[in-house]
Amino acid sequence: MDLRELVAAMFLFALIVMPLESLQAQSVRPPANAVNQGIDKQIDEQIGTSNTLGTNSQSDYWRDLRHGKDGLATSGQSGRKLIQAQGEQWRIVRKTYIVKYGGWVLATAIFLIVLFYLIRGKIRLKAGRSGETISRFSLPHRTAHWFMASIFILLSISGLILLLGRTVLMPVIGKNAHSIVASAAMQGHNLFGPLFIVALIWLTFMFIRGNFFQMADLKWILKGGGLLGPHASAGHYNFGEKGWFWLVVIAGSIMAITGMILEFPWLAESLQLLQISVIVHAIGAIALISAALGHIYIGTLGMEGALDSMTTGDVDVVWAKEHHDLWYEEVTGQKVANPEAEGSQSIPDHNQISAQSQTTET
Amino acid sequence: MNAVAQKAIDKFLEFTDSDIAAYADSCVHCGECAEACHFYMATNDPKYTPTYKLFPMVKAYKRHKAPMAGLKKLFGLVPPEVTEEELRQWEPLVYDSCTMCGRCTLVCPMGIDVAGSIRKMREGYVAAGIIPDGLVDAGKNAERTGSPMGVTFKALSAQIAHQEAETGIKIEIDKKGADYLALLSSMEIMGFPEIIGSYAKMFKEAGVSWTISSEAFEATNVGVQIGSGKMAKSLVQRVVDAAEKLEVKHVISPECGHAYGALRWAGPNMVGRQFKFEVIHIIELIEQLRNEGRLPAGEKDTRRITLHDPCQIIRRGGLLQEPRKLMDDSCSDFVEMEGAGVCNLCCGGGGGVSANPRAEELQMAAFSQKLKQISDIGEVEAVVVPCANCRTVFEDGLDEFEVELEVIGLGELVAETLSTK
Amino acid sequence: MSLLQIFEGPLFYIAVTVFMIGATWRILGIIAIGRKTDISPPKASANVGFIAGNLRHFLPRKVFAKRTWVHIVAGYSFHLGLFVLVIFAAPHITFFHDRIWDIRWPALPRWGLIIAAQFAFAGLIMLWVRRFSDPVMRLISDWDDHIGSWLTFLVMLTGCLALQESHDALKATHMLFVDIWLIYFPFSRLMHAMTFFLSRGYTGATYGRKGMNL
Repeated sequence: MDLRELVAAMFLFALIVMPLESLQAQSVRPPANAVNQGIDKQIDEQIGTSNTLGTNSQSDYWRDLRHGKDGLATSGQSGRKLIQAQGEQWRIVRKTYIVKYGGWVLATAIFLIVLFYLIRGKIRLKAGRSGETISRFSLPHRTAHWFMASIFILLSISGLILLLGRTVLMPVIGKNAHSIVASAAMQGHNLFGPLFIVALIWLTFMFIRGNFFQMADLKWILKGGGLLGPHASAGHYNFGEKGWFWLVVIAGSIMAITGMILEFPWLAESLQLLQISVIVHAIGAIALISAALGHIYIGTLGMEGALDSMTTGDVDVVWAKEHHDLWYEEVTGQKVANPEAEGSQSIPDHNQISAQSQTTET
Repeated sequence: MNAVAQKAIDKFLEFTDSDIAAYADSCVHCGECAEACHFYMATNDPKYTPTYKLFPMVKAYKRHKAPMAGLKKLFGLVPPEVTEEELRQWEPLVYDSCTMCGRCTLVCPMGIDVAGSIRKMREGYVAAGIIPDGLVDAGKNAERTGSPMGVTFKALSAQIAHQEAETGIKIEIDKKGADYLALLSSMEIMGFPEIIGSYAKMFKEAGVSWTISSEAFEATNVGVQIGSGKMAKSLVQRVVDAAEKLEVKHVISPECGHAYGALRWAGPNMVGRQFKFEVIHIIELIEQLRNEGRLPAGEKDTRRITLHDPCQIIRRGGLLQEPRKLMDDSCSDFVEMEGAGVCNLCCGGGGGVSANPRAEELQMAAFSQKLKQISDIGEVEAVVVPCANCRTVFEDGLDEFEVELEVIGLGELVAETLSTK
Repeated sequence: MSLLQIFEGPLFYIAVTVFMIGATWRILGIIAIGRKTDISPPKASANVGFIAGNLRHFLPRKVFAKRTWVHIVAGYSFHLGLFVLVIFAAPHITFFHDRIWDIRWPALPRWGLIIAAQFAFAGLIMLWVRRFSDPVMRLISDWDDHIGSWLTFLVMLTGCLALQESHDALKATHMLFVDIWLIYFPFSRLMHAMTFFLSRGYTGATYGRKGMNL
């Protein structure tokens, strides 16, 4: 047997075996810090179980629990408060709105992409590949992109398990297995989280040039990006790419901040901040993942020649002319006569192109 | 099985020693070596990645000689047999785009000696008869006259006579019992004969007894460049015979790249015994004479001058400080290039590349990297190039790119700036 | 016997045996091919050169660093991170103690472990990303390079996913990949972790003998 098949078989074996293992496993232990002994006893002593009402009225009692009472010693974030009432609202918002609609937003995004594929099909190069290429992204650009992409995918998968696992996974794989997967996802998510910040800063610096909005973008918007209708002119980046860049930068920053608060809760001053962070983090995640699905689609399956820019860094001249005509003109100094007309290839000056690729490559 | 390919494979395997095995097994395909290779730097073409140039030899090793190759073969996990077509496809990579300068070894995290491996790989190519035409011609010339350019002793005597007239110093030929036997390279004899006069001046000043042999005056070893052990051995043997017949104590290797390594390091191994004389490089000798006070420095050259480091003398020859001391003594405005010394860029024409007309365009591209390195240090008036082959490459390249820059040998510079007391 | 018991018991010992025998075979095999004795009069010691070559190649050279800094940073980040993870993670120390040798050494605190893991992951991902986006690395890479990267990644990933140390299934997954990695190692380019010593050393010895400057 080919070694490749062997490795694949072992990998599959591992995937199949793991859930089975979990079913027999009686060895699931709660994390060491999960059981908090002593606090119940403390409460008993300080409030007094035998006399729950005491001299207070019931409303005074609840007020004290919710807003705190002097002389009540507890540990943790909430100071003297025993019950934080917003917690219930937070729980409801997260469970009924975020988890439910978040899942549907993602499903809709996938549905729209499939629909778009069915209607528009793969966007092909009208003039076919010429074989001649120009440099679009330098190696440092590609490295920064793929570094971010790797971290993003790892965080998306682990994050979605944490957000939707209970609703989607648990009914399928059972509670035991879900608990295992969730534990793994949480450790993984916390581990890769800080790397996202490194990737984000790097990506922002590498790609910010050329991503500011220009007049050409307005025309592009009016033409609907040429996705369904006629071609819309664009520079190095079109409006869609610019929008995606800024979504990553802005939503990514918010994810980074809320993520840090959640990973290092002592950074948060109040419980509300943590609750808000959970909600914002989840909304941001849904937005970014939905957009990323579209980005991945158009970069691979959806458009002929697009992936080249991120693998070899060099795109076909025809691709450049058909999708980024203004950039092509800027780089080569050649006019793209009419991108819609068949066979409108002005032969580019080879020397100019190679000179350009060298300057961008270094 | 293709007979041509088989011959190459057999030689590859014969020359695969522990070194090659360790290199082949430790290369992690990181691609760093490309960043040190002037051919890659000039073209940005990934096929010029040094480790890629070794692929056919590595494949043969992994299929036939590597530990566990037998076990892996059972599972079909060894690479396929090297084909003749593949060998021919690799020929330009092995001959045209490697000057065996060894710069890639410095950047390699595994310390792989690609240059030395290419040298061994070329043995396979010679055995299979896949050699660039230019090198075949040089080889034929060398077999006939000992010189790759076909320079005869007659031609040399004419140049010697001319230099004798110029300097007024008599140069003795075939003088038995002289201390030193000087070798020259064809390129020096034909292109830069003033070096003979410089030798005469310096050795007279220092009181060194020396001679030139009419039988073995050529230091260049085409066998080493082509990768033919047999030819390399016969060329070394010629020098050894002449030197031992004249009973000299030392043989001076000239300002020529690989000649020194061929005679000093490979020589005894090819001949199969230690020599009855010592091999010394001319730069080593001059520096030694200067230290002994026998060759005092005089008025300095005041021009802004830089120094090119010939790979086989500096990086792979181990002479690093010697030429720099001589430079400091001889000129008042000596500037160094970035990466000067061990990491300096090759001229682009070593390792037989300059003798191979097919590689001319690539050689020029590589030289443009050298030129850029020089222009990066600002205006210089001259460059000292202590290697006749590099010097020819420089002159051709400067001509091609229409750059005004004087190229001089180190020996000449020292001879010109001797104390005239 | 549970899967965990198999993966950290019999299978682990089998894997270690394959690893040890295979790696020794490869190293001895390379040495056994032999080198010709060099009879040219040496300028300096080849043995010193062997060691010096090994040490010198740890340090990148300034001239090249401008062009290769990404690899230098990613390479060191990955290798040092992994080294710290393997040697100083508390669960690993316990495992070595229980399964291999009755010695212990100080463990890294948990936060140190997380930071080391982040360096290791960042470096490995970077190196692998370059493998398919750098034209040079694309040309010279083969399946062995990719499998090696992925196996190492999976070993590290499953290890970190089990950080909570509360599920045997996660630990078993990690152990399974460790076992596969150990078995794959001697047959693959992962061997560079050992052969680098010979490769640098042989070059260093040749250079040292000739009195070449490192």
